[in-house]
Amino acid sequence: MSVTEDQLDATFTALADPTRRAMVARLARADATVNELAAPFDLSLPAISKHLKVLERCGLISRTRQAQFRPCHLEREALDSALDWIEQNRRIWAQRFDKLDEHLRDLQRPTSRPTSQEQPTGQEHPTSRQQPPPEKECPP
Amino acid sequence: MNDVQSDTAELVYTRIFEAPRELVFRCMIEPEHLSHFWGPVGMSTPLHSITVDARPGGAFETVMVNDADGSQYPTRAVFVEVVEPERLVWNELGSGVTTTSTFRDLGDSRTEVRIHQRNVPEAFRSPQAQAGFTSSLDRFASYLRQLRTDAGQPGAAEADPS
Repeated sequence: MSVTEDQLDATFTALADPTRRAMVARLARADATVNELAAPFDLSLPAISKHLKVLERCGLISRTRQAQFRPCHLEREALDSALDWIEQNRRIWAQRFDKLDEHLRDLQRPTSRPTSQEQPTGQEHPTSRQQPPPEKECPP
Repeated sequence: MNDVQSDTAELVYTRIFEAPRELVFRCMIEPEHLSHFWGPVGMSTPLHSITVDARPGGAFETVMVNDADGSQYPTRAVFVEVVEPERLVWNELGSGVTTTSTFRDLGDSRTEVRIHQRNVPEAFRSPQAQAGFTSSLDRFASYLRQLRTDAGQPGAAEADPS
């Protein structure tokens, strides 16, 4: 099963609800019946059933048709694509912020000499200056 | 216990920068600045690949280039709101992710930047953003990752708690 963007959207919608997140967390440990999933919540069985249908529709969980108690099973691939997205996104912003922080420091660094000397030598593109300036290492 | 109702699953990232708000805001809309930080670690965002037309309906386009193998990750977005120097909202084409950046002047040349992301345009646009909830989707992700790692070996998790 490949996870499409629509499925990812549906997964996020399903995970937007705290009750459903708790259910998914429970199922991440082991399969569970509807009654087991309902136990921690002060909700009616129809309400629980509604939540399960949302989770089922987006492919996060599946239920065995034959078994009498129809245990719910977490479909990890659907969950993983959502988790991947969240974590990748968090990482990107954290690293962007780190770089922005450094960039802002560079911009505001008191200039002890004329800024024109800060220009890179030669005629290369100044696009990927990843190296911090060496004077950063100087003792105070 | 579960009566905290929220239909949102926003992701929120906040950082405080030691710089005046106008400068931080400019960094987010000027290609010369963006090229310094837009790409995460291991990625560059070449100046010529950045398009910023900072007005509602204007384009916000970047290409992140993997430093190791040169693979490219273009992103195209359209500005929905530009309120200098307080707020930027853009909508990513394709993914539908809406990103709101809020710049708060904390005084003493300090600025708080909040990045709000709403993942699904319609379903996630509910107004009931709750401060206590906003980061919990993120924490949930870490929590589940942990669970999944623990249960990595089939059968091992249930049989052997160690």
